[in-house]
Amino acid sequence: MTAVLDTPGPRNAPLGPRIWRWARPTIVVALALVVIGIPLWLVLATSAKPRGEAINPNLDPPDHWQPGSNYADALDQGEMMRGFANSLLVIVPSVVLVLILGAAAAWVFARRRGKLVATAYAVCISGLLLPPAIITIVLQLRQLDLAGTRPGMIAVYTAMYLSTSIFFMTGFIRAIPYELEEAARMDGAKPLRIFLRIVLPLLRPVIATATIMVMLYAWSDIFYSFFVLGGGDAATLPINLYQVASAELYQENWHLIFAYVVVMSLPMIAIFLVAQRRIVSGITSGAVK
Amino acid sequence: MAQSATTGAAAAQPVTTRGRPPSPRRAGGRPPGRMSRAAVHHPWWFALPAVVIFGGFFLLPNLLNFYYPFTDWSNYHTDINWVGTRNFREILDDGTLWRALRVTLVYALLAAFFQNLFGLLLALLLEKDTRFNRFFRALFFLPVLISALAVGYVFQALLNTDGAINETLGTDVPWLGSTSWTIVLVAVVHGWKWMGLAMLIYLAGLKGIPGDMLEAARADGAGPWRMFWSVRFPMLAPAVTFNVTTSLLGSMNTFDIVQATTGGGPASSTEVMNIYMFRVFGQGQWAEASAMSLVLFLVVVAMAFPLVIGLRRREQML
Amino acid sequence: MRRTATAVALIATAALTLSACSDDTAGTANGTGAGGSGGGEVDPTARLDGVELTFWTAQNTVNAADQVIEAFEEATGATVNVEAIPDLYEQNVPTRLASGERPDLMFWQPSISTLPFIQPRQNLLPLDDEPWVGDLGPTEQSLGVIDGTRYAAIVTSPAMLGVYYNKDVFAEAGITEEDFPTSYEELLELGHTVQDRTDASAFYEVGGDQWPLQWQVQVQLTDLPETWWEGLNRNEESWTDPAVVDAITTYNEELLGAGLAQEDYRTGTFTGQGEALWEGSSAMALNVTSFQSQLQAQHSTEEIDERIGWFPIANSEARGLYSPDQTNGVVAFATGDEERQNAARQFLAFWLGPDYADFLDARKIPSVQPDVPNPEGMPQTAVDQVGELADAHGVFQAKAIVAPELHVALADMIYGERSPQEVAEFVEDQFDDIARDQGAEGF
Repeated sequence: MTAVLDTPGPRNAPLGPRIWRWARPTIVVALALVVIGIPLWLVLATSAKPRGEAINPNLDPPDHWQPGSNYADALDQGEMMRGFANSLLVIVPSVVLVLILGAAAAWVFARRRGKLVATAYAVCISGLLLPPAIITIVLQLRQLDLAGTRPGMIAVYTAMYLSTSIFFMTGFIRAIPYELEEAARMDGAKPLRIFLRIVLPLLRPVIATATIMVMLYAWSDIFYSFFVLGGGDAATLPINLYQVASAELYQENWHLIFAYVVVMSLPMIAIFLVAQRRIVSGITSGAVK
Repeated sequence: MAQSATTGAAAAQPVTTRGRPPSPRRAGGRPPGRMSRAAVHHPWWFALPAVVIFGGFFLLPNLLNFYYPFTDWSNYHTDINWVGTRNFREILDDGTLWRALRVTLVYALLAAFFQNLFGLLLALLLEKDTRFNRFFRALFFLPVLISALAVGYVFQALLNTDGAINETLGTDVPWLGSTSWTIVLVAVVHGWKWMGLAMLIYLAGLKGIPGDMLEAARADGAGPWRMFWSVRFPMLAPAVTFNVTTSLLGSMNTFDIVQATTGGGPASSTEVMNIYMFRVFGQGQWAEASAMSLVLFLVVVAMAFPLVIGLRRREQML
Repeated sequence: MRRTATAVALIATAALTLSACSDDTAGTANGTGAGGSGGGEVDPTARLDGVELTFWTAQNTVNAADQVIEAFEEATGATVNVEAIPDLYEQNVPTRLASGERPDLMFWQPSISTLPFIQPRQNLLPLDDEPWVGDLGPTEQSLGVIDGTRYAAIVTSPAMLGVYYNKDVFAEAGITEEDFPTSYEELLELGHTVQDRTDASAFYEVGGDQWPLQWQVQVQLTDLPETWWEGLNRNEESWTDPAVVDAITTYNEELLGAGLAQEDYRTGTFTGQGEALWEGSSAMALNVTSFQSQLQAQHSTEEIDERIGWFPIANSEARGLYSPDQTNGVVAFATGDEERQNAARQFLAFWLGPDYADFLDARKIPSVQPDVPNPEGMPQTAVDQVGELADAHGVFQAKAIVAPELHVALADMIYGERSPQEVAEFVEDQFDDIARDQGAEGF
């Protein structure tokens, strides 16, 4: 099949394809330079400039390189390490809960039948499309004494992304041969054991994909975390960035903002580089088959 | 985008009958006093924690959201009293409701359009599975990995009147200062941020087109242009449906990019519902914010309904 | 499965009933409102060993009280922990309070439109009988009072609203101090003179950042009598009053419409305003003291004195307007802990008493007490502003019980999306809504 896709046009077509063979890479490189290169350069260059040069951000290289002190300032003033720890403390438990609870529920939804199960399933995946009612979530968390706390944020994220993982995993489990479970059951395994030993390991590919998707949104979420955490001691990285950017109206500090952007983006980029193949295949294989 | 990005994922998954459990016997068929096989093998309490969390922190707030918009809940007093439709009348009377609705819909449509246009173009450009292409795919995927807020700030720095673009071009265009065009520009930024995701899905769609189909078309003498429109594009339909619907619903719920580039301005021309909610909540008018939140909910439901039906139909077809 | 459903239904109903009806946690009243206000006798340096106080500040004022805190800790043995509440401060503090947290002390804007955010009657200690009250200047004394009760100590003097001008441009246009305007009308005439005689634009307006847009309208509201504001606060007067609409119209037509602002006034930024005035591409900037802080962050006092001047302006006289902000006031909380409440009051007495001159000297800011002189080394513009404070008008944030977002509506106006009349209506609607939410009488 790849052989077919190798040539975009008929092999003996006169001029078009040959030009295309050269034009395509040129277009790609030019596009990448403008569309990705310019913003990327702006961020990197500005993050290395002293404040005076960065007040009006431009594409000039810095006259005076001072990435060290900018990044140190961003780490320090932006309380980046705290933000980083806070982001992890909220997102890791959320992802784990989304996966475990989602898998357990999906197993039941995929294997049992009946009106109630169907209804429960339909209700549980409604979160795929419905927006979370963030304003009333705030009120409810206050009543539960969870406002502004990590457990509160974890509960909200978990509830928001459960639908995705349940939907995903239910479809996946349905495609797993029932006989695999049946065989273990013959050996006298209890449901919990079957779930842990048979079902969960089989779910590995979906788990990877779901993790990536949740990370993509939760790592950069500012809207929900702002309502729930609202800054303070539990502020996550994006909240810190927002505060660095909007603090002190009269001091435009682009050099710090961009130093922050760079450091904040690194973990996601690192994860992507390490697990690139799995991420790409996870996203695509799930989406269109 | 939020939670809907993977919607199509499992929907499109082939549902094989092979994996289905044997039909449970009808309730009446089992001996009284004993649990059904399904109940023994897949006990309901496995689903309970998920149901409780989802019910408690997603469903319940959405239910309460049908109550609080009709109260005077605010930062300024502790009691909450029923006030009927006052909050809705107010946002109707001062035009905020229609404006926010219009801005949000226009933004969502534009954002979905650009995201898919960019994604499809990239997918077509980078279709072949070569080293060169894989590298550039990863590069174009980069914006997806960067937080939307950060993306917003980057483009604010580029597009400000005294920003990098004007400085480089030597112009003085107020990119973020037009009440009619700025929203388009912000939607382009939104498209830029998510184009990598759309690209991946289109790439997968392109890969899924059977080779013999292309061969047949080629044998018929179809040129590249006709090849695309009459063979490949129709075959991409599932990927298009998935991408368009998820990006459309996702961008209804947008906040960060708009907040970071324009903050809702100029003259509220980019004030989408979530920004309005954020602003009004900040003034302590919590019931008003809740009212807008309910409107957003209803609009999304109205848009999602046809979508769900569509997805269901496709699932059955497969 | 049926039991699951029942359980879910039960949980749901339980939670529903739980959260319906009232948000008890929003600003929990603590009942000890007036606790410990036993007369005005406070010894500022009494020993407080082992007492710990928490002090909330905004991010950009986290070091503002450092000098006082150090001196107080040394003098009394108490410990004061500063905690920075993230921006937006005015939004996040009420949220934190709503979740039940209470500091002992906190920076807060001491104006009648901002104090209600933190529900002073339930949350704060009344400070009417404190020893420093009589020492404050007249304008300062009027701040921090709600319904006749004082809830805030005034520690720094409020920002002043007035015109910053570029001295070189004025010299080029042949304008001397005698030509300084004594009414808003004259200010506009002066603007025309500048534009006729130089290349500079008369004003730099800040449509991009929005909030400074309100000042041009605010200076025109100074002839409204005190009774008008009282009426407004009882819902007997309205923002749609012709006086307000005229002020907005004048700004729209005779300043912006007459070309007295720089070309890109719709997208102009606060930073841009500083640069334009510094370079002389605009002659004047009507703004509050934070404009001066911006200059001070980039230039030395001598440079500023050489290049930038300041004069006050009101609608029909040369008077300034004061504008309280978050650094001006400190409130003390009714925490229910008598010892800490007294320590908090002692802290304020120490700040505004024995320590005050040292505090001013450390910060290089003007004094709120006529008996304590200003420190050396302030820019002349700052000295001029302090001189005007005693008989300054107040901006509406200090006079109306709710500060509506006039600037948001004005930003719509400069894009042609609202008429001056509609701006006034927007402001009135918002004022009305929030005043009613606050439970103000007459709304």
